[in-house]
Amino acid sequence: MTAPAPAVRVGGRPPGAAAPPRRRRRHLGVYLLLVPALVPIAVGLGYPLVRQLVLSFQEYGLRQQFGQPARWVGLANYAELLGDPYVWAVIGRSVAFCLVNAAVTMVLGVALAVLMARVGAAARMALQVSMLLAWGTPVLASLTVWQWLFDSQYGVVNWLLADVLGATDMRFHSWIVEPLSFYFVATVIVVWMSVPFVVFSVYAGLLQVPTETMEAAQLDGASARQRFWGITVPMIRPVLSVVLLLQIIWDLKVFTQIYVLQRAGAPTRDTNLLGTLIYSYAREFSMAGALATVVLVVTLALTGFYVRRMLKEDEL
Amino acid sequence: MARLDPGRDTDVRTLRIAAAGAAAALALSACSSDATGEEPTTGDGGTDTAEITLWLNGTDTPDELRDYLVETFEAEHPGSTLTIEEQDWSGLVPRLQTALTSPDQTPDVVEVGNTQSPTFTYAGAFADITDMYDELGGDDLLPGFVEAGSADGALYAAPYYSGARAVFYNKDMFQAAGVEVPTTLEEFTEVATTLQANPPAGVENFSGFWLPGQDWYNGAAWIYAHGGELATKDGDAWQGALSSPESLAGLEQVQTLFQSATNAPVDADSNEPWVPFNNGEAAMFSAPTWARWSIDLPQCNAGVDPDDTSDEAKELLAQQQACNEEHTGIFPLPGVDGGVAPVFAGGSNIAVAAMSQHPELARDLLRIIFGEEYQTMLASKGLIPGNTEYASAMGDDVYSQAAIAAALDAKLTPPAELWADVEGQRILEDFFQEIAGGADPKDAAARADQLITDTLS
Repeated sequence: MTAPAPAVRVGGRPPGAAAPPRRRRRHLGVYLLLVPALVPIAVGLGYPLVRQLVLSFQEYGLRQQFGQPARWVGLANYAELLGDPYVWAVIGRSVAFCLVNAAVTMVLGVALAVLMARVGAAARMALQVSMLLAWGTPVLASLTVWQWLFDSQYGVVNWLLADVLGATDMRFHSWIVEPLSFYFVATVIVVWMSVPFVVFSVYAGLLQVPTETMEAAQLDGASARQRFWGITVPMIRPVLSVVLLLQIIWDLKVFTQIYVLQRAGAPTRDTNLLGTLIYSYAREFSMAGALATVVLVVTLALTGFYVRRMLKEDEL
Repeated sequence: MARLDPGRDTDVRTLRIAAAGAAAALALSACSSDATGEEPTTGDGGTDTAEITLWLNGTDTPDELRDYLVETFEAEHPGSTLTIEEQDWSGLVPRLQTALTSPDQTPDVVEVGNTQSPTFTYAGAFADITDMYDELGGDDLLPGFVEAGSADGALYAAPYYSGARAVFYNKDMFQAAGVEVPTTLEEFTEVATTLQANPPAGVENFSGFWLPGQDWYNGAAWIYAHGGELATKDGDAWQGALSSPESLAGLEQVQTLFQSATNAPVDADSNEPWVPFNNGEAAMFSAPTWARWSIDLPQCNAGVDPDDTSDEAKELLAQQQACNEEHTGIFPLPGVDGGVAPVFAGGSNIAVAAMSQHPELARDLLRIIFGEEYQTMLASKGLIPGNTEYASAMGDDVYSQAAIAAALDAKLTPPAELWADVEGQRILEDFFQEIAGGADPKDAAARADQLITDTLS
């Protein structure tokens, strides 16, 4: 009912005075165009986030889900979580795991991308296909295979080490019963699964580096190393930062790989990361919500610097 | 709706709106699916016709029994239908958490694992069926399961079936090592150790008794046998009880087994213990008695294609099963001073969903399930029926005898509201793994007790 009103008024005004309302109307149109994008975001992202925040200030468990009223407890959930040294230990572990994994993934991914840009067509095709297969295999299926590989009794890894390489004390070695070796196995799996994405993104970036520039640098006598660090890296920096940012976010909230490995027989409490710790609060939604909010804060703390720099680069 | 506090009107109101919406939706769906020409009727009371849904988990309930339920229910309630939906055991708790809270999606009758029961009974997920206790079987119902299905003195989930654990052993290996079936727990350790010390030729990593590090389902029997508990209730508060002298006595015996009677991996759980047994890598394992169908000794394997359904193949399979059972013995785990040890019971409870729109029909379905005919059918399939009066229908072969003997004394996990959280955090898996790894039982038990107490409070 309100929208047509200004139009009527505009019609009655002299031409000179029409400009400001028309501009306002155009603005209104712009905002209307945003609606189709904003609604899904608000429903899909906003609502869960708000609900998570609300839950984290309540006492909300199964009873509440079956109809009992939820009590507001203020910051009690946060106080309980952050007062627990175990939670801090898990946060520390998760950050360390995330940084190591993101770094290893980036180094391997960039190296393979550079290799892919240098080798011949047949080798490149082989690389691309194997990368796609590693990436395309459903997570649980490939995790089952990894689990079998590292199985202490019938696993191929132990068989190779003991019967082929002669390390007989590794015959029945359990890889996941000690936290450090558990994280080693988890890192191998997580990196294996994340590298293809980095390779393809960086490879696409490398194709955008103009060959003229590289040839000019070569003629000027720049070594391969100098060309890589002086030309290629600065030119693909936007790709690198986005990919690194995504890796950090993904590796911080890693869940499936850790969960499946834990179920394969690892000591749960000693190997929990943030994702699996939240999951263990499956019946205390308020605690899970509070911890999820903490994870959000940690993620922002780890990535805020990058996000700010990326936004700045966009403005230039 | 009666179970809600009258003072909490906002919730009652939202529920009522939701329920009205659900009733409307049901009415609509009843109309639209009314192609068969039956009169759609809605409304409360015992005379309505409707579609009700029963959730059964895994393949534990054989098809024959499912068909019986559908046919009997529909014959007794002309115009109503019963749909049985099979749910997977894994991930069942989260699925129930969401389905049971929604009046238009909830199944009417649900099966729930016995250790998962308290989580839902205390939350108000199930309808109160205390008034049906005598009708369903009264004091003949499996007592531990009744306790697991009760909250604050009211019954919410009745015992559906139970499967107790018993020890399977390789008769040939017993003979070769010159040992007999043990009659006390102490003897059990000796037998297992002797077997371990005399492995069959050419088998490395042989286990006298297959006991993986995280297998607390079996390990708990030693705690129970010595009179210990996993957790005890002190007033209103639950506390971990692993460091009581009784529990510690059991745990020390378990540690001896871990050290000298098993080579099972420290990082494995109670899953598929028959695999090493079939491979000749273990002389004994403990599992629910239906594990007899998974035994497949190499000397008996007739190499039948599992897809082959010819009479010849069936004949061969029957011979194979007979051969397996000839070479495999079974005995209930002995107690400290002889007799039978209280082992950990597997099995499930069955309940009417609190949000069910057809509680009367759902209760009628329970009546059919707890009728003599259905209970006898359960027993004839090798499951210990919720009503123990009909357990004799299990037959008198050694497996059934061992199953019944073990089941009568079987114990469940503590009926604490938050027990599922202890399992969710895998505190006992971690704890038994520590014991298997050689940790001091006293220290490990004190730490685990603290975690259990914190979780249950």
